[in-house]
Amino acid sequence: MQRLPGIGPKSAQRLALHLLKRPDAEVEALAKALLEAKQQVGTCQVCFHLSAEPVCEICRNPNRDRLTICVVADSRDVIALEKTREYRGRYHVLGGTISPMDGIGPDMLTVQPLIQRVQREGTREVILAIGPSVEGETTALYLSQLLKPFTRVTRIAFGLPVGGDLEYADEVTLARALEGRREMA
Amino acid sequence: MVSGGLIAGPIAVLGLVGLVMYLRRLHLRQFRNYGDRVIAFDAPKTILVGDNAQGKSNVLEAVELLATLQSHRTSRDGDLIQEGAAIATVQGQIERQSSGSMDLELILRRGGRRTVALNGQGLRRQADGLGTLNAVLFSCLDLELVRGGPERRRAWLDGLLLQLEPLYSHILGQYNRVLRQRNALLRQQVRGDRRGVTEPESTDDHAAELALWDAQLAIAAARVVRRRARALALLAPRAAAWHRDIGGGTETLDITYVPNGAIAPDLLEGNEGDRAIAVQQAYLSAIREKATAERHQGTSLVGPHRDDIDLRVNGVPARQFGSQGQQRTLVLALKLAELTTLEELLGEPPLLLLDDVLAELDLKRQDRLLGAIAERFQTLVTATHLGAFDGRWLDGARILTVRRGQIDATG
Ligand SMILES: [Zn+2]
Repeated sequence: MQRLPGIGPKSAQRLALHLLKRPDAEVEALAKALLEAKQQVGTCQVCFHLSAEPVCEICRNPNRDRLTICVVADSRDVIALEKTREYRGRYHVLGGTISPMDGIGPDMLTVQPLIQRVQREGTREVILAIGPSVEGETTALYLSQLLKPFTRVTRIAFGLPVGGDLEYADEVTLARALEGRREMA
Repeated sequence: MVSGGLIAGPIAVLGLVGLVMYLRRLHLRQFRNYGDRVIAFDAPKTILVGDNAQGKSNVLEAVELLATLQSHRTSRDGDLIQEGAAIATVQGQIERQSSGSMDLELILRRGGRRTVALNGQGLRRQADGLGTLNAVLFSCLDLELVRGGPERRRAWLDGLLLQLEPLYSHILGQYNRVLRQRNALLRQQVRGDRRGVTEPESTDDHAAELALWDAQLAIAAARVVRRRARALALLAPRAAAWHRDIGGGTETLDITYVPNGAIAPDLLEGNEGDRAIAVQQAYLSAIREKATAERHQGTSLVGPHRDDIDLRVNGVPARQFGSQGQQRTLVLALKLAELTTLEELLGEPPLLLLDDVLAELDLKRQDRLLGAIAERFQTLVTATHLGAFDGRWLDGARILTVRRGQIDATG
């Protein structure tokens, strides 16, 4: 349990003790549900967000603006941004940020599919909502260079904690950041 | 002496009035050789006396940590935690004219991240704790400022900057991160070259990826280097004045920031916004010039991680200049300049921590130091015995005896 993100030794112990006290059937059902979820959830073919279907709910939603794409590093960022209810476009999940130290080069992110998508869909605006870490800045710079010939590229950064992750920014901050996005130089 | 840890003493004693930044109380838990100890500072000068390795320097180190979040003795938090313990805490009660009474706590974890709390509230970033307490530490290791390599001098200047503008911690952290990423990429390319990967496509990709990090390095480097040059420009005339004062006016001290690569020093002067762009451009062309060498060595050869601070006395590099005594004069001048620069820019006098240095200073230099402090700075002194220095240090001082992690008030 301790290997799970956000679970320290104390929480792990508490969870383990709780599970030990529950009936076998209940624990079995939980284990089965976890396994099924893992097997069923893949990524959306269009935007690479987590999805049980080949195309995710957001991409299928006809009420969402098809000409705006918000690019994030991770599916967790989609979830955080969705909570703000500020954004009505669609997303593109990169699957990380460029980080040579971790052996992650641009070719390991969903960059090529993004460029193809922008050309295919005639996207009007790409919003880069990548955290302002060194790796995030570098990834944003890279994407803006590649996307500039095809579409307008903006970046949200205002009010975000410097060096922080999107995940930790509160909803108000994120909503404000979306309104205050700026054109990439 | 009180066994539970608290050193009782008449609070509000002589001389405290007039001090505008004051560390009133320090609480150490499982820190170095202290189990659980509260030290109250109730005089402008506190002298910690004891044999070596009894724990007196650990007290100064704890104060240094609260002020800078760094220790000059170690970079590993594990070294600061008592053997067998998992967590150490250093807590200080600080009074400042500008912000009243504050409680700053640093929590160190073995194999974990440290955290900082201000007035009982955990701070999201450690660096937010910077600026709560300011201190200048002077120890025998500081002779390395003159004799040691450039990294010593950079660390010293960076330490001053952290206190002058806490945001610098973020700026320097970003630069170091960019540097590590860029070096990782250069190493990968060296490995690729050795494997004989020469397909044009992959070489192009590599070049494009490296160009990204070149740009990031230039931006981060310009931020670091301009701040360092600015801080040094503030400090240099003060250091030269102190040096003249201590040395009797016969020697001239010149301090200059020496950026590596093709960065012209005069580019670092001035504050206009376009200067930042010019410095970035200079870094980019310096990087281009070194491209072949970098590809060969697999490491970044341009940037403030290779800069130095040039110390010259009468035009001669200080490292080669004169006796140990003359080098001590120079270090003392640097430290006094640090103290007075901080005082002037922050508007409040920082703490002065003198770690085993008094005995090494002759009476004339001690006299200058005493004159400079002049009751304005709260001063913590460590020494192996009281007879080793000018008796005037004892005036109005609280003397604490340190023995194997026990602290007793004497007299
Ligand atoms: Zn989708």
